[in-house]
Amino acid sequence: MSKRTALQIAAYGIVCLAILLVPSFMDDAFILNKYARYLVLGILAIALSLSWGYAGILNLGQAASFGLGSYAMAMALKLRTIPVHTGEAGLPDFMVWNNVETLPWFWEPFYSLTFAIFAGVAVPVVFAVLLGSFIFRGRVTGVYVAIITLAALVVVNLLIIDQQRFSGGFNGITDLAQLELFGLTFDAYSMSSYYLIAISLTVSLFFALAVTKSKAGLILQAIRDHEERVRYFGYDVARFKTFAFAVSAGIAGFAGMLYTIVMEFASPTFLGVQLSLSVVIWCAVGGRQSLLGAALGAIVVTGMQGALSESEIFLETWTLIMGFTFVVVVLFLPKGLAGAIEMLVDRIFRKDDAVPDKSSVAADRCGVESKAGAPR
Amino acid sequence: MTTNRHDHLVLTDVSVVFNGFHAVEGLNLNVGQGELRCIIGPNGAGKTTALDMICGKVKPTSGQITFEGKTLNKLEEHEIARAGIGRKFQVPSVFHELTVRDNLEVSYSKSPGVFANALLFGRGADRDGLEKLAELVGLENYLDTPAGHLSHGHTQWLEISLLLAQDPELILMDEPTAGMTVQETSQTVDLFSRLKGKHTLIVVEHDMGFVKEIGEVISVMHQGKMLAEGMVSEIEQHPEVRSVYLGSGGISHA
Repeated sequence: MSKRTALQIAAYGIVCLAILLVPSFMDDAFILNKYARYLVLGILAIALSLSWGYAGILNLGQAASFGLGSYAMAMALKLRTIPVHTGEAGLPDFMVWNNVETLPWFWEPFYSLTFAIFAGVAVPVVFAVLLGSFIFRGRVTGVYVAIITLAALVVVNLLIIDQQRFSGGFNGITDLAQLELFGLTFDAYSMSSYYLIAISLTVSLFFALAVTKSKAGLILQAIRDHEERVRYFGYDVARFKTFAFAVSAGIAGFAGMLYTIVMEFASPTFLGVQLSLSVVIWCAVGGRQSLLGAALGAIVVTGMQGALSESEIFLETWTLIMGFTFVVVVLFLPKGLAGAIEMLVDRIFRKDDAVPDKSSVAADRCGVESKAGAPR
Repeated sequence: MTTNRHDHLVLTDVSVVFNGFHAVEGLNLNVGQGELRCIIGPNGAGKTTALDMICGKVKPTSGQITFEGKTLNKLEEHEIARAGIGRKFQVPSVFHELTVRDNLEVSYSKSPGVFANALLFGRGADRDGLEKLAELVGLENYLDTPAGHLSHGHTQWLEISLLLAQDPELILMDEPTAGMTVQETSQTVDLFSRLKGKHTLIVVEHDMGFVKEIGEVISVMHQGKMLAEGMVSEIEQHPEVRSVYLGSGGISHA
């Protein structure tokens, strides 16, 4: 393992530990719930960082996977409320209001929570594999990938809104039961939910890190750099890109399930264009080529958004302030906050290590001048 | 390996048309196993296009390309690469954002599947071999340098070392010595002479000095067709070749 990797793992570990320790200082249920929400969005940003930062696939439809995961969890939790809401053999309330008489076939399996959790990841993955093979087999690249994924998101979004009888339409699926797993109840406003999400973030982060550290991760970076060249080494580029696209979708779907738990509902806005584009901004601010950077970007930006929009002073100007921050970051920190930190760390370590690269060669060459005065 | 040594790579009546322009027309080429074949010809003769067709970058309009008895026409680039064909491009093509070590790691592609690679960690299984390769081409001090920071000459050597790591049966080289110093060029000649026999090499070159130094069978292309084939002395005496090259002062000065 290289020194760099060790340093990276240490940094990831410290941040995750810090996140896990938050409840020891904070026991306000409302604030913990808010933090948990930011963390879930952090997981969503990790997913995009994997496909955009590492594989160069700008997926503007990331929220589709997120939303599908969210609905999978909401369907399962909705079915658990039936005896309470509409009688023993009853239907979810919105179905009754829409004159649906029997539970649709695709709702049936969601009586099983295990199935729902499986579907929350598997449905986005299958969707991504289908869409991804279509895009990448056809060698669609660059901005066109962004357009297709955005269009796909809008289609899924409209479909869900349109099928009000089965999906709750604009209102989404509300009034959910609390998740019960391993004998624990995950109330959205409780420590247990916070821990569930903090641990999920840690797992997602290290899982994504493992993907990038595998040889497949290296090949993905090579594809990002020079796609054509990779083909001539015998790698099926379309398959690698589909793989990255699908893994990213799986993580996003997982985040979506958690979002239902903290928000206590699922809504078409979870697969809205606005959320999907926000993820791109979080990644850009945090540094898309760093998984941790992207996660922190999401947490910082959404946290700032929350704090500014709730404070009375910035009530009318907070969107301006956010916009200004984005412009500054994009202009001066093209690799985001993570890039800036990496540069700092590199500078500190470069001083000790005698790296035989250009700078030392150049120093030899300018030996005469440097005696007269260090050329800068 | 079991195929006839003389029919390792065979191009039969291969043509390619770009928007009505015949870049290559009725090209026939037969390269034996372990041979080091140079292809020369004036600009626009179709040399690079010929390599493009072999490695799958360009699909031939008609004709047939076979490698070890396998037809390549319909295969995708990565399938051709897996069949054992590697390519060095005219403009050095390496991964600029990756370090030299990572470049070599990517090019070592014995198991190119997605899941095999997703479960492959440590990247160090053949580290020694790759470092030796870097040493061979004089890049051992640059292993952790991003390829984008290398000089042009070093980038050329890096791409050559990538091909050595890939270790294909057939290596296609498009102007490998472009931008190299005289000394580097003769190092290249040494390297190629050593590779010959173990690998089959096809080298497209402008530099007549280089081709003479290699001293093997030369194929001369002109206007998308094969003009002549033979040893250096034969080619120099060939009347048609002389007339094609007359404009540039004869073949010796091409």
